[in-house]
Amino acid sequence: MDKLHNLMFAGVGGQGSLLIAELTSMAAADAGYDVKQTEVHGVSQRGGSVETHVRFGKKIYSPIVTPGEADVVLALELLEALRFAHYAYPGKGIILVNDHEIIPGSVSGAEDMYPHNAKAFLRDKKMNVITLKATQKAHELGDGRIANVVMLGALSTLIDIPSQSWQKALKLRLPTRYLDGNLKAFAAGEQMVRKENAAV
Amino acid sequence: MSIQTILGNEAIALGVVEQGCRVVTAYPGTPSSEILSGVVKFKKQLNRNIYTEWSTNEKVAFEVALAASWSGLRAAVAMKQVGLNVASDPLFSSAYTGVKGGFLIIPADDPGPHSSQTEQDSRLLALTAKVPVFDPSSPEEAREMVGLALELSERYRTPVILRPTTRLCHAVQSLEIDDLIPPENAIPEVKFRKDPKRWTATPKFRNLLHKELNNKLLEIEEEFNKSTLNFVLYDDINSSIGIIASGVAFHTVEQSLAELGNQIPILKIGTPHPLPRKIVEEFSARFDKVLVIEEPDVCIEIQLNSREKVHGRFDETFPKAGELTPEVVTSILHTIFNKAGITVNSPPNDVELEDLVSSLPLPIRRPRLCPGCSHRSAFYTIKKEFGSKGIYPGDIGCYTLGMNLRAVDTFVDMGASITMANGFYQANQILNDKRPIIATIGDSTFLHSGIPSLINAVHTGARFVLVILDNRTTAMTGFQPTPANTELADGSDAAQNVSIVDLVRACGVDYVKEVDPYNQDEFQELLQAAFEYSQSLSGSVAVVIADRPCVLYDPTPLNENPIPVVITEECDGCRYCLEVFECPAMSLSSDKSRVDINQKICVDCGQCLDSCYKGFILPDLTSIINKQEVPSLTRSD
Repeated sequence: MDKLHNLMFAGVGGQGSLLIAELTSMAAADAGYDVKQTEVHGVSQRGGSVETHVRFGKKIYSPIVTPGEADVVLALELLEALRFAHYAYPGKGIILVNDHEIIPGSVSGAEDMYPHNAKAFLRDKKMNVITLKATQKAHELGDGRIANVVMLGALSTLIDIPSQSWQKALKLRLPTRYLDGNLKAFAAGEQMVRKENAAV
Repeated sequence: MSIQTILGNEAIALGVVEQGCRVVTAYPGTPSSEILSGVVKFKKQLNRNIYTEWSTNEKVAFEVALAASWSGLRAAVAMKQVGLNVASDPLFSSAYTGVKGGFLIIPADDPGPHSSQTEQDSRLLALTAKVPVFDPSSPEEAREMVGLALELSERYRTPVILRPTTRLCHAVQSLEIDDLIPPENAIPEVKFRKDPKRWTATPKFRNLLHKELNNKLLEIEEEFNKSTLNFVLYDDINSSIGIIASGVAFHTVEQSLAELGNQIPILKIGTPHPLPRKIVEEFSARFDKVLVIEEPDVCIEIQLNSREKVHGRFDETFPKAGELTPEVVTSILHTIFNKAGITVNSPPNDVELEDLVSSLPLPIRRPRLCPGCSHRSAFYTIKKEFGSKGIYPGDIGCYTLGMNLRAVDTFVDMGASITMANGFYQANQILNDKRPIIATIGDSTFLHSGIPSLINAVHTGARFVLVILDNRTTAMTGFQPTPANTELADGSDAAQNVSIVDLVRACGVDYVKEVDPYNQDEFQELLQAAFEYSQSLSGSVAVVIADRPCVLYDPTPLNENPIPVVITEECDGCRYCLEVFECPAMSLSSDKSRVDINQKICVDCGQCLDSCYKGFILPDLTSIINKQEVPSLTRSD
């Protein structure tokens, strides 16, 4: 309980990165940690890059995670993983990324600038990268929107929050009619990361 | 007692409800918007009798709440920092007259800025207006300060500011919340009492009131010198450097010191105006060097009697612009401590990787209008009619993003589209510049401060086209109702809605037409006619109201008539549609040979049909027939 946790959630507006950050904060609070979370919204909610910081531990001062201090950078999209990669703790931090690309529109030539080699780049820089096909899994489960909760399930295997706190947060925060799908997505994410680890 | 995670703005709202505010008003604006919705939530949860309203603008909100205070009730008003500019007239005046019931003003500042046009510091406006300020550093402290501020307001009969910043407003914190707060619905034994020397003070009495206010501030400063909100952390540590910090910056400093593995005395200022100078001077006397760390500007630093050994924003020890994140503060403290021979940890961040990542040519994700947004249809048609030769003054709201379609050339502040169009017209008369001027403004912004601008334009004979983009809600900040809606702040449907078209006519406009911007041809014809009218012999300002609900707020009309589209095999990937229509649901295929529709986010609005001049975007007839929703639709080519 004394360990300080720094988490960074990154994604594209509309992917639900704020929701899984909130769920993490709720679960951490339920587990008895002091929790602080911060995000910036406004124009960023309309298709921009979205970053949410969650910190928990015995005593938290600022809610903002400093680059180089995140235990986990959870990215729902590959370009965003790259954009926030330097937040991961050198050598120890994990980049947990959804193997999914969203090409930014609107900016001329953005298609040409998209770094399709993001995964290789991060591995090359000796980052601890776990890539999961969460969007694909979510579609298999029948709802592409729950890729965020698949990723949350994966995150839950990497940080010290008891299972019942996660379950409580999901039940408290999500509308009943979506709960079943989300619980399945969460469980699928847990399994995927375990498989990935077994393979390594 | 239970532990809940709660948003900073909701912690403030909880304080406002707990402390018995009976009238709470606001105009929405990031990062302040969840304060009033939080008050509505808690007043329902706790069964409190509180009047709440989304006011027409911040000045209106301020004065409605002020009258409640003058009647003896506790009252609060919330807004974003630039909103306090709009309400600055009553702010200054009410500091002189004073108040009766506790009166709390909550302007939310936005260091960065993240979603504002300026980084202004409301505490500095308070300094000029001579109003005391409480500067909370966390959601928990903000909730506590609400009560202390109201109590001070009542004792000194002065308005008081509680000044949060973005990182507090949008912070989520775990907080202990009492399950049972007794309902306080009894009618207080107060009422408005006439007092001409105060409530209708003429300049002679204003002079006396000003002196009274100065005395109040001296007494309040004395009180702040004794307040537990101003305290020293790590007081017994021996150091040649001391830090003075307030607001969110206080916790940032705490974190930076933790990262650096060092503790030095920090004077935490909870009440930056009037500055408790005695505490500050006694603290400063102990050190060779004093660092002042505050956001977003220099409220504490500017009030110091001597800045001889002080380092802050004035001498640019800390940057004069931008947010003081732990990263920024840690790096500055690291340098200062090293120079002073104080051993500290090195920040763990991987500078090499950070530099590498920042040097990568990563494409940015620009905010964009949503798929199906009626503003896109309006801007597309405006641009089609007037092209790049038009001058396009815009305004504040989602539709500022019309700049992506190059149909917004300027934005200044709320309501400025109309006045800027007015001014461009007069300048163009002198310059003999004949370019058409087309101003755009949203419904909420028009009602907020567009009306005096329109009266002025009509009165002075300006000639331009004004398009009011009426999406029937304040969409940008989370769908707060406007005076043109029947919805009230508490969610009830009891409001008397005002008619925008009647208001426009009452401003003296003869040419006013309403049209659904989804009917692009009709809209274009009206724009053409409106422009011709504005230029005709007896012409004036012409107003076209683009009337269609926000697609997120009310998708009903869209669902009633979906028009799925396909892009044909012939598409050659020329990107013309991407440039002119700029819809997030359209993107170049990975081999760049064609444009694809992303069916996951496309809302079947069919508005892009016109945006391929080669005719490769067509209604998807098979899909329509399968859905059997619009069987009568025929191919438009």
